Amino acid sequence: MTVNTGAETVAPMIVTRDLKKDYVMGAETIHALAGVDCVIQRNEYVAIMGPSGSGKSTLMNMIGCLDSPTSGEYILNNQAVQDLDDDELARIRNRDVGFVFQTFNLLPRATSLHNVELPLIYAGVSSKERRKRAEHALDIVQLADRMDHKPNELSGGQRQRVAIARALVNDPSIVLADEPTGNLDSSTSSEIMDVFDKLHEAGQTIIMVTHENDIAAHANRVITLIDGKISSQTTETSNQITQPPKVVLEAASAIPSASQPPAPKSTSPTGETP
Amino acid sequence: MRFWEGIRLSLQQIRAQKLKSFFSLLGIIIGITFLIAVITIVEGMNSYVRDDFAGSIFGVNTFSVVRRQQIVTGRVDMEARQRQRRNPELRMRDVGVVRAAVPYAKHISYSATTELDQVRYQQYNRRNIRVIGGSAEYEAVQGWKVQSGRGLTPIDDQQALNVAVIGSNIEERLFPTTSSIDKQIRAGGYRFRVVGVFEKQGGLAGNLRDAAILIPFETFQRTVATRRQEIDVIDIKVSEDHELDPAIVEVEGALRSDRRLRPAQDNNFWIQTSSDLLNAWETINRILMMALPALVGISLVVGGIVIMNIMLLSVTDRTREIGLRKSLGAKRRDIMFQFLTEASTLSILGAILGIGTGIGLAEIVDRFSPLPAAVSAPALITGLFLGLGVGVVSGLYPAYRASKLNPIEALRFE
Repeated sequence: MTVNTGAETVAPMIVTRDLKKDYVMGAETIHALAGVDCVIQRNEYVAIMGPSGSGKSTLMNMIGCLDSPTSGEYILNNQAVQDLDDDELARIRNRDVGFVFQTFNLLPRATSLHNVELPLIYAGVSSKERRKRAEHALDIVQLADRMDHKPNELSGGQRQRVAIARALVNDPSIVLADEPTGNLDSSTSSEIMDVFDKLHEAGQTIIMVTHENDIAAHANRVITLIDGKISSQTTETSNQITQPPKVVLEAASAIPSASQPPAPKSTSPTGETP
Repeated sequence: MRFWEGIRLSLQQIRAQKLKSFFSLLGIIIGITFLIAVITIVEGMNSYVRDDFAGSIFGVNTFSVVRRQQIVTGRVDMEARQRQRRNPELRMRDVGVVRAAVPYAKHISYSATTELDQVRYQQYNRRNIRVIGGSAEYEAVQGWKVQSGRGLTPIDDQQALNVAVIGSNIEERLFPTTSSIDKQIRAGGYRFRVVGVFEKQGGLAGNLRDAAILIPFETFQRTVATRRQEIDVIDIKVSEDHELDPAIVEVEGALRSDRRLRPAQDNNFWIQTSSDLLNAWETINRILMMALPALVGISLVVGGIVIMNIMLLSVTDRTREIGLRKSLGAKRRDIMFQFLTEASTLSILGAILGIGTGIGLAEIVDRFSPLPAAVSAPALITGLFLGLGVGVVSGLYPAYRASKLNPIEALRFE
């Protein structure tokens, strides 16, 4: 299907319409997402920011198909996801989403290679093909020489690169990174951000949740959430804060180009970490 | 392919926690060990009773007249036991009656038995022996064969000579280096000249022959007998299978009329056949087989509960891993399968260990006791399937819990 968000020719990677998520806690209902409209194009590099409790994790979970919205629409890579059941969501997570976690989440007793192969096992790929593709993914993150190492034999940066290789191995539509540098020191952080930047240059769509401005600065666009709503977002073309609810159309026109440097924002310092 | 992946993963998990896995398996190991050991020994007993026992204790086509019932199976009738105590002793007169009743019998013998503390030759001795005083045809009725020397003759009995044919075990003990023939052995304060040695019998019934000394009946009465002229057993052997039942009826009738029993009166003697022994064994067998499922069942239920607990702990321990796997695309059935495979692998491993120790135990029993053992394939297969069954059943709930975990909460779990 194509998404009717205007007169565009290329279908966006992600479209959400009035996405809502409520959590019932006792007698209280918490509106974690109170109607989020956003469009993310193919090959965009987006950072999601916001204070804790703003709903950025919830949004991330929605985008990553870990959770279903209470109401609203979510279209990922031309597929309406909001009404899918658990198994179908699992299939989409497997094929279309590559997760990178703050705590790496590698299997401690498995080698890098096996860790990277894991999504392919659930995709039903043959062991020979698994090995080939996992080796290729490790090659991309420059860890071809650490294939048989276990996580405890790797540095933090190397572990996160294994995790990135794992996220890439199924050739996903989006790479979803949740505070990917949160557990790393600053020089290792910039090493990891280099990897993301290169992936983006190679055409990968990347969505990143972070609370660090200098990390967010790598992205072409920053979406800021407050109280479950998009409070502001920069666009690459304008470099200006725009206010909802007109974001959808503006985002749709913001097709980024890979060669451009990270978008500076008025709300955050630009440049790399020292 | 994914199946092997699951097995590989399970083994990895088990190997990572060897001690914990082992302890969690104890229940299953014990249950299956018990199952295999008992079935193995019972099977051994069965084939033994079937193939050797009846023949070697009773001889083929043989029955006996005794004073009172010796082997009681099923419910014990105390009143009947009490009545049998008043049965008269068997005497030479009874032997004559039996002889007259079945003139076509191949062999008829009578014998008495006593237990002695020891038998000695020079510095050697053998403790706890049986001395049998048998009439001339005793060996023929029993089917005992002499391995060296000679057997007893009618002349030995008529002249009440102090001669003895000894069991192979007694020979081994008393004559480790020399030949036993024509040597004087001492038993119960009397001397006996060894004239022959019986063939080794071995096995469970082996104690009866291998540790026995056979002397002539008359000699027995004049030497070691505690009461004179008492006959313990009259054995009757017929030539053909079909003669057995008529012979039993005739002997019974002849003894009844000789003892002037009225039709309403019970026999005041007892006719013992090999089926008495087989019945006794079958009763024991049935009781064992009835108790076995309960005993094995209890161990397996306990083992299953332990495995379920371990798996529940494991699910909690690995909540993050489950969350991760789900986020990477594992479906509910993938997680379910993983934990079920793990529980099953664990319990099958327990079953294999149990089978190993069970067979080992049976081997030890076989080697160091007279009880025979025979490993049976159905028992092994039953053991394996019970193991698998326990694994699947006890893994089901933990696996279900794991598969139901919410990936978001699981990933965030500390």
